[in-house]
This record gives sequence, C-alpha cells and structure tokens, in this order.
Amino acid sequence: MTEFKLPELGENIDQGDLVRLMISPGASITEGQPVMELETDKAVVEVPSSVAGTVKEIRVKEGEKVKVGQVIFTVENGAGGKTKAAEAKAPAGKISDTPAQSVAQPKTESRSVERRAVAPQAAAIPATPGATEFRLPELGENIDQGDLVRLMISSGTKVSEGQPVMELETDKAVVEVPSSVSGVVKDVRVKEGQKVKVGQVIFTLEGGAAPQPERAKHAPVEHADGQHEARVAFQAAIRAEGKTEEQALPPDQPRPTAPMFAMPEQLGKVAGTEHREPVAAAPHVRRLARELGVDIHDVKGSGAGGRINEDDVKAHSKALLTSATAAAHAPGTYLEEPALPDFAKWGKIERVPIRGVRRKTAEHLRIAWNTVPHVTQQDKADITELEQLRARFAPKAEEAGGKMTVTAIALKVCASALKVFPQFNASIDMAKEEIIYKQYINIGVAVDTDRGLLVPVICEVDKKNIVELAAELTQLSKKARDKKLTPTEMEGGTFTITNLGGIGGTGFSPIVNHPEVAILGLSRSSMEPVWLSGKFEARRVLPLSLSYDHRLIDGADAARFLRWIAEAFEQPFLLSVQG
Amino acid sequence: MSDNPKPSIAVLGGGPGGYAAAFLAADLGMKVTLIDPEVNPGGVCLYRGCIPSKALLHVAKVIDESHQAKNWGIEYSDPKIDLPRLRSWKEGVVKKLTGGLGQLSKARSVQYIQGQAAFENSTTLRVAKTGGAEESLSFDRIIIATGSRPAIIPSLKLNSARVMDSTGALDLSEVPRSLLVVGGGYIGLELGTVYAALGSKVSVVEMLAGLLPGADRDLVLPLHKRVEKIFDSILLNTTVSAMKEEASGIRVTFEGQEIKEREKVFDKVLVSVGRKPNSEIPGLDKTQVQVGPRGFIQVNKQLQTHDPAIYAIGDVVGEPMLAHKASHEGRTAVEAIAGHKVAFEPNAIPAVVFTDPEIAWCGLTETQAQKENRQIKVARFPWAASGRAVTLDRPEGMTKLIFDPETERVLGVGIVGVGCGELIAEGVLAVEMAATATDVALSIHPHPTLSETLMESAEVFFGTSTHVYRPKPR
Ligand SMILES: Cc1cc2nc3c(=O)[nH]c(=O)nc-3n(C[C@H](O)[C@H](O)[C@H](O)COP(=O)(O)OP(=O)(O)OC[C@H]3O[C@@H](n4cnc5c(N)ncnc54)[C@H](O)[C@@H]3O)c2cc1C
Repeated sequence: MTEFKLPELGENIDQGDLVRLMISPGASITEGQPVMELETDKAVVEVPSSVAGTVKEIRVKEGEKVKVGQVIFTVENGAGGKTKAAEAKAPAGKISDTPAQSVAQPKTESRSVERRAVAPQAAAIPATPGATEFRLPELGENIDQGDLVRLMISSGTKVSEGQPVMELETDKAVVEVPSSVSGVVKDVRVKEGQKVKVGQVIFTLEGGAAPQPERAKHAPVEHADGQHEARVAFQAAIRAEGKTEEQALPPDQPRPTAPMFAMPEQLGKVAGTEHREPVAAAPHVRRLARELGVDIHDVKGSGAGGRINEDDVKAHSKALLTSATAAAHAPGTYLEEPALPDFAKWGKIERVPIRGVRRKTAEHLRIAWNTVPHVTQQDKADITELEQLRARFAPKAEEAGGKMTVTAIALKVCASALKVFPQFNASIDMAKEEIIYKQYINIGVAVDTDRGLLVPVICEVDKKNIVELAAELTQLSKKARDKKLTPTEMEGGTFTITNLGGIGGTGFSPIVNHPEVAILGLSRSSMEPVWLSGKFEARRVLPLSLSYDHRLIDGADAARFLRWIAEAFEQPFLLSVQG
Repeated sequence: MSDNPKPSIAVLGGGPGGYAAAFLAADLGMKVTLIDPEVNPGGVCLYRGCIPSKALLHVAKVIDESHQAKNWGIEYSDPKIDLPRLRSWKEGVVKKLTGGLGQLSKARSVQYIQGQAAFENSTTLRVAKTGGAEESLSFDRIIIATGSRPAIIPSLKLNSARVMDSTGALDLSEVPRSLLVVGGGYIGLELGTVYAALGSKVSVVEMLAGLLPGADRDLVLPLHKRVEKIFDSILLNTTVSAMKEEASGIRVTFEGQEIKEREKVFDKVLVSVGRKPNSEIPGLDKTQVQVGPRGFIQVNKQLQTHDPAIYAIGDVVGEPMLAHKASHEGRTAVEAIAGHKVAFEPNAIPAVVFTDPEIAWCGLTETQAQKENRQIKVARFPWAASGRAVTLDRPEGMTKLIFDPETERVLGVGIVGVGCGELIAEGVLAVEMAATATDVALSIHPHPTLSETLMESAEVFFGTSTHVYRPKPR
C-alpha cells in the first residue's frame, strides 16, 4: 500500500483549502492525473498524483485545510513499484516542470477543461537532450521560412517540451510551433513580424537546458490553440521570478505606461458601474428578465452552452415567487392558520377567490405584521389656524389642478419632520445588520379604491411646495381610482400617510408599510374644547396615530416625532414660509 | 417618477447620441427639444468625424487600388487630384446626411434650437441661440449628449496653421509634402492613410510599443505591415518632446531609445492623441451631476446621473467613444425615462478601424482575456485560405473567434482584412445571441464571400475547417 502526500506547491505555500476532490475510493488512477483542486493564498491549483493504482482510503475532505506532507489518500495495487520512485520525485520540481498541472484558474471559471495529451502539430520534433537553444525545426515540404505572427514566450519564461512557443504564418498556413527543449528562456532572438528561417535560433536557454525530467506518459496538458499554454508558461515565469502579473507582462502587451490613447475596452460596461460577466442570453431575454425583476445572472440556462431562453427566465421568476411564498409559510416566520370549520353547516355561503390588489395587500400586510414589532403612538394637533391657511391656498391649488387637502399639507409637514428625524426615513437590513438611511423623501399615500387599497408614491416631497404637492396628489389619486397607476408609481416610498378622516373615527393603528419603518394615520378632525390662556376655547383638533417599527425606533423618539408633527400643524406660518 | 406620463425632454447636443435619443423620445410621444450649435443635427460624427473621414478613406482606397491594378495587368496613369472638388464632394456628403437628419427631426416635431445651452438648475436651461437671442427653458428631464473634442498635449500646444487636429485634417486645406501624425490610434492611422494616398509623405509617432494600443497584436500585424509600405516611417516607443515653428515647417524633437533622428522638420503635424469629454458645461455645478476624474460624467446603467432629472450619454460618459455606442445609450436613456425597466448592458460593442486593411472586433479580446487571466480558446482562419480574399488580391487578413472553453460559446470576434468592418456585425450578433461554435459552423455562409471566414473559424475550432488543414492534436 502506498500513500500519496501533498507535495510542495511552491515557495512559501505550506497549505491550502481543498476545493474539490476528483477521486473516490476504488478509482484507478495513473501518475500525473489530477486528483484534487486546492485553493492557496495565491491561486487555485490542480494537484496531480505521483502514484498509480487503485484508491483505497481517502484521508481528507472537501472544505478542509490540507498541509504539505499530509497524507491525502492511499493506493493499493501493482503499480506500487513504480510509485515509490515517482513519489520521491514528486516534491518541488514536479509541479513547475509540468506547469499545466498547476494552472492557476480564476475561481469563478470552469475548471473542467478538455484535456489531451500533447502531440506536436507541425512536425514531430524529437527532444534534444541538453540543448541550450531552440531552432526553428522543419515545418514541412518546401517550407523553409515563415512570418512570426505571435510569440508566446519571453525571457524568463519556463518552457517545456511540446509547449507551443510561437505561431508562424507560412505560404500555406498558420502553424503553432512547439518547443523541443525544456528550461528557462534566456534570450529571445526573434521579434513578432519578422521572417524566420528553418534552422534559425529562436531562443536560448538559461544555463543550458534543464535535465528533462521523465515525463509522465499521461501528463495532462490542456490544449486551447496555444492560448492556454501561453498563459501557463506565463504563470510559471511569474512564479519563477516572484513577479506579479503586471510586472511580467508578456512581450505583446503594451508597456505598462498609461496610454494616452487606448482602444476601448470591449465588454460594454458603463464606466464606473460594476463589471459582470456577459451572460449567455439574447438581448430580448435579458430585457424580459429586467421587466420581471429577475437578475439574469441568477438564471440557469437550459440551452446549448448554458444559453438562457425566455422560458428559463419565466421559470426562474416563478420559482422565486413560490420560494418566497414558501419562505413566508415556513415554520417560524408564519404560523399555519388553523383549519376552517365548515361554515355551510350554519347557512348558505359563497366562496370568492382572492385576486389582484386584495391578494397583494393580504400578502404584504401579513409580512409587514409578522416582521415589524408594531407600536402606535397617539397625539392631537390643533389645526384651527391651519384651516385658515388651507382656505387661503385652496384657490391656488385649484388653479394648479389640485385640491388643498389635509393630506397634502400633511405631506409637507412629514417631509420636514423626516429631515429632522432621519431614523423615520430609514429601513432595517437585518441580514447585514445595518440601518439604511435614505437621502430622499418619497411619501406614499394610501388611496381607497374600489379594487382595494393602493399606495401611490410622491417623490422628492421635500423639494416640492404645497401647491405642487396638492396637484400631484390629486392626479395620483385620480389615476389610482381610474386604474391607471403603473407599478413604478407605487415604488420607492420611504414613509406612508393614511387618512381615514373622510370617513370618521377618533384614532386607529395603521400597519407599517414594510420595509418602511413608520406610518402616519390621520382621523377625522372635530371641534373640541381646548384649554387656552385660562379658558376653554372651541378649536378644531386633528387626531394623529403614528405606528412605527420598534426595532429601530424608541418610544420616546416616536413621541417627539409625532409632537413635532403636531406642532408643525399648529404653526402653519412656518409652513407657509417653507411653502 | 413624474406625474406626467409624457415628460418634456431637452437633449443637449445633436450628435449620434443626442439625435437618436431625441428621435426615439419623439416617437414615444414626448415633447422634445434638441439643442446644438450646428444648423442641423449630426454632431462630431457627421460634421467632423466618422462620415467625412470615411468619405475620404473611400477615395484613398480607390487611389490605392488604381496602383495595385498594375498587378492585374491594368495600368492607370498617376491620378490627378482636384482638391477643391474632392473637398466639395466630401462636404456634399456631410450636407446631404445632416440635411436629412434636419428633415427627420422636423417630421417628428422635434423642436430644434440652434444654439448653446447652459444649466440654470437641474431642470432649467439657458439657451444662447445662434441668432443672438437668449431664453430660459424648463423641462422634466434633460439628456446631456455634448460629446467630446480632440485632446491636446499642453506642452506641445503651438498656435500654427501647420499643426492640426482631426477637424483641421478633415478640412483638407492642402496636401502637405510631409505630415507627421502624433498618436498611432485609429483616428491618426485613418487620416494618415488618407494623406498618404493623396501623396503626402506620412510619418506616425506612437509612444507605446505598437500601433493601435489595446487591440490584439495579431490583428494589428497585417495592418502594420501594409502601412509600413505606404507610410514614410513608423516611430514606436517614441514621444514628441518639443515642436517649434520654422520658416520651412514644424521642427519636431523626438525622444525614445530607438530613434534614429532626434529632430525632423515636417510641413504639417496632425495631433491625434485621443479625445476629451465635453463635460465643462456652464452651470453644471448648479445641478447634482458628478464628473469623474477623467472628465466623464458619471452615470448608472440607466444612464442617469447623480441628478435624478438629468441623464447623460455618448462620448461624454466614457469609453468606448464610438457613435453606435452613443446612439444605443441614447435610446436606453429615453426608454428609462419613459419608465421602462432597461439598462445599458450589451455583451458586445463593435469597434472598427477603417484603415486598409480594416480591423474590427467585438466582445472579449485576447488581450483582455489575458489581463483577466481568463480561460479561452481561440480559433483563427487565415484569409490566404479564403477564395474571396484571393480574388481581391488581399490574402493578408485573418478572422478569429474567441470561445469559452467549457460552453463553446462565442465570447469575442476579431478580424483584420479588407472590408471586415462589414463582417463584424455577424460577430456582434453571435456574441449577443450567445451562439456556440456549432451554431456558427452550421450556419451556411454564401460562397465566395469573406463572411465564410467566420464559419470556417468555427470549423477550425473543431479541427475540421475545409480550407485549412490544422487538425487538433489527438
Ligand atoms: C476623425 C474622427 C473619426 C471618427 N470615426 C468614427 C467611426 O468611424 N465610427 C464611430 O463609431 N465613431 C467614430 N468617431 C467617434 C464619433 O464621432 C463619436 O463617438 C460620436 O460622435 C459621439 O457622439 P455623441 O453624440 O456622444 O457626441 P458628438 O457627436 O460629439 O456630438 C456632441 C454635440 O454636442 C454639441 N454641444 C457640446 N456642448 C454643447 C452645449 N453646451 N450646448 C449645445 N450643444 C453642445 C457639440 O457641438 C456637438 O455637436 C470618430 C471621431 C473622429 C473625430
């Protein structure tokens, strides 16, 4: 039985996180076959086996930290004889000698890349042991030269036999030329764009060629038209020199000075916005996702190459909805409603489906009620003087197409109050344990329609005057009743006002319009005796009910906030100045 | 959110960004005002950019082919160039197209104001009309599309008619004996090509190691080889450190390790070292719009600035500074204003360099993949194997497709070769539709056309291209 221990991974790397195991007990493995993927501080590397045989026991688990020298698995079986030698050879040199096995791959990308054994393409080139330079080999009949289109190496690059090092355009074709030597490139003797002749020296090696380590027969080498090898070589070079990628730019990169004029970056992002991978979906599909409010990057495509079609987006959107409902129904968040009795037992009944606005309202309010610990604070405002102001502004409002209502005035008052008490213009992000303060004041107004309760939102209330607010409110309410409100017109609110005064009542407990944290309810104003400068006077008094989210707002703050509002109603002069 | 479903909109600047936005807004029923200093819409692109340069490049191509025709047994005598007529033809092209835009604008009842606009606040503009009158106008939303202008290097600023920017070069006041193009970007190379064809001895100086910095080197190489023949010299890794006007021309001092002559006198110098966004709009500080460090107005994916009432599009918001990007942004901004849930999020923006040969690409480039350390597979098809390219006597081109190795999806396309600017559109469609190598390989392309090179590149990916024998290693 032989053990496979984690070999040296490179300088200063003595451990890594095991990202993926590629073997399981009973698997038969060969030398050089990748067996696991390890994430180190520097990169994700694939670790090749240095032993062959049948895997018996695996001593590590995905997600674990693994140390250099630690036993990863054991193997049984015939190949054991050879494994000893291989194991001895495994540390240090092994990985950098066959760099394809230690490819640093960006984590987000696919790791399963097609693997093929290398076969030199243009011509079979025998290894030249101990060579100190690489000359252009024969390319084929009647071809004695070519134009060097692309160099894939530079001074300092580690090359190994079979690794493509350049691309040559001949009269007949473009060919990739693989190296017939291994070692570290010292001098590159040719430049891109040059003509190169068969037999001409392309590059020399540092201190002669490294003795060619015995290549594992099945050493996996990725082939991606030379591109990948170039990158592998590039990475090996970086590692060899301890350089960063920037410092070790390959020869066809512009010098690292800031260019005065560079061709545009091509991934079509708006400068300054986050950069995301282009997604495998046609433009109309991406647009559909936006319309449905689905992040297209979360959608799994069912088509070739993971292509996302319309149905995928719709299915995803549906799944989101059901999972949201399921989450709401999940124990802990929502108590299952007890089964209903058979009402028909006692008389005739009619069952009507809950649809549209009613259903939305029901869902939304249940969530709000279950999420927000509600407290309602009551107060009263003397609006006797305000009534005079209202009368004064009424014609102006009418001119502007609006009605000067108490709600319109309340909008203005609340906007001012929210500026002074920003915690009432906030939301709670429990997941992140953060409070989100909004630097805009958009107030929703509950409108009673024959379809049910709708809450159109008036934006930037603080920037509008009372007359403008009255006009906008009138229009929005009309739209709500005429079923013309668009969903966007009901989004983005930071606070809500609900006025039941038109109907009656002396107070009520409105439910906070989650994720907002407070809501102001207005009831019917009435004439009341008020003790003023030593006697009772008949004054018009407006009952105020403020419900708030007790997680964020303390009772004392709520009392202060509502008092502030009451006083603002009582001093209409201030309002008229702010107008 | 506006209470008015059909907001009134002002568009500042009549370039391809501005007029596309204005026209769509009008089509969607908004009340639109378009403001630009020129008589008609068009902007840089039509008056002093894309269109006049392409007209002149067409002429250059004809001249060039007349020389090349010798190879085919047809010999023309050297062309006589009637500069005033060439100029008026080019101006005619511009007039025709901008006049057409003027009519389209009228037909859509867009209010076109010839003048310059400044901000009074987020929704009010002070418009100084070209006629002399001034007027304050208010709108629900304003779209900034003020474009860009040629950048200048302050230390090289010289008040001389011999030193031109791209606008001066397009004026074509004369054909100088010698011309130095400062900057090896696309504008410099395109205009250099024009002047070389008209008979100037053109030199190009570029600070970086290669022409067209940022583009994939294998695309640039065939172009480099060709311009080496038509240009007098190409100085790479070289900067211009000083320019002085003398009686006989501009004396230019070069700096760099590879230079042979430290100083040289040129009849004229074209400075094309990039473009600067026109974000210094008077009164912009009275709004909440924020301008980034490189002078670009900052926007989100809906092209909305930090000021909710103001949107910005085109060259003034960032790279790539290209007309078609400006137009697409313009349309996106208007749709966002109309309340649609949209975002500017293309997977591929095509770039075309209209030199000879042309270079075109879209989506992911190899250079960028390398920078991001991203796995790709590249399939190249040399045009020497394209029947069409050989019949055109231009086999130096190359088409390459860049694939995701796992899904075999086309992530990017790069082409060099005559007329490839027309081919890249298929690449854009492939990238945007998330086509796979198989999709491209199985779509029948007409023979003999250059478009076949796209299909055959996809075949190369599978090692089965009909006209290139490059088997995959087994
Ligand atoms: C020589 C040359 C060749 C080019 N070739 C190509 C090409 O082949 N393909 C391509 O895609 N792109 C090309 N471009 C780039 C292209 O011209 C720009 O990307 C495009 O014009 C940008 O459009 P835009 O709408 O952002 O602004 P612009 O076209 O720059 O238009 C902005 C307009 O706003 C006006 N303006 C500015 N400030 C104010 C103000 N305060 N009030 C009123 N109006 C104002 C300006 O006068 C101008 O008319 C070329 C550019 C040049 C210079």
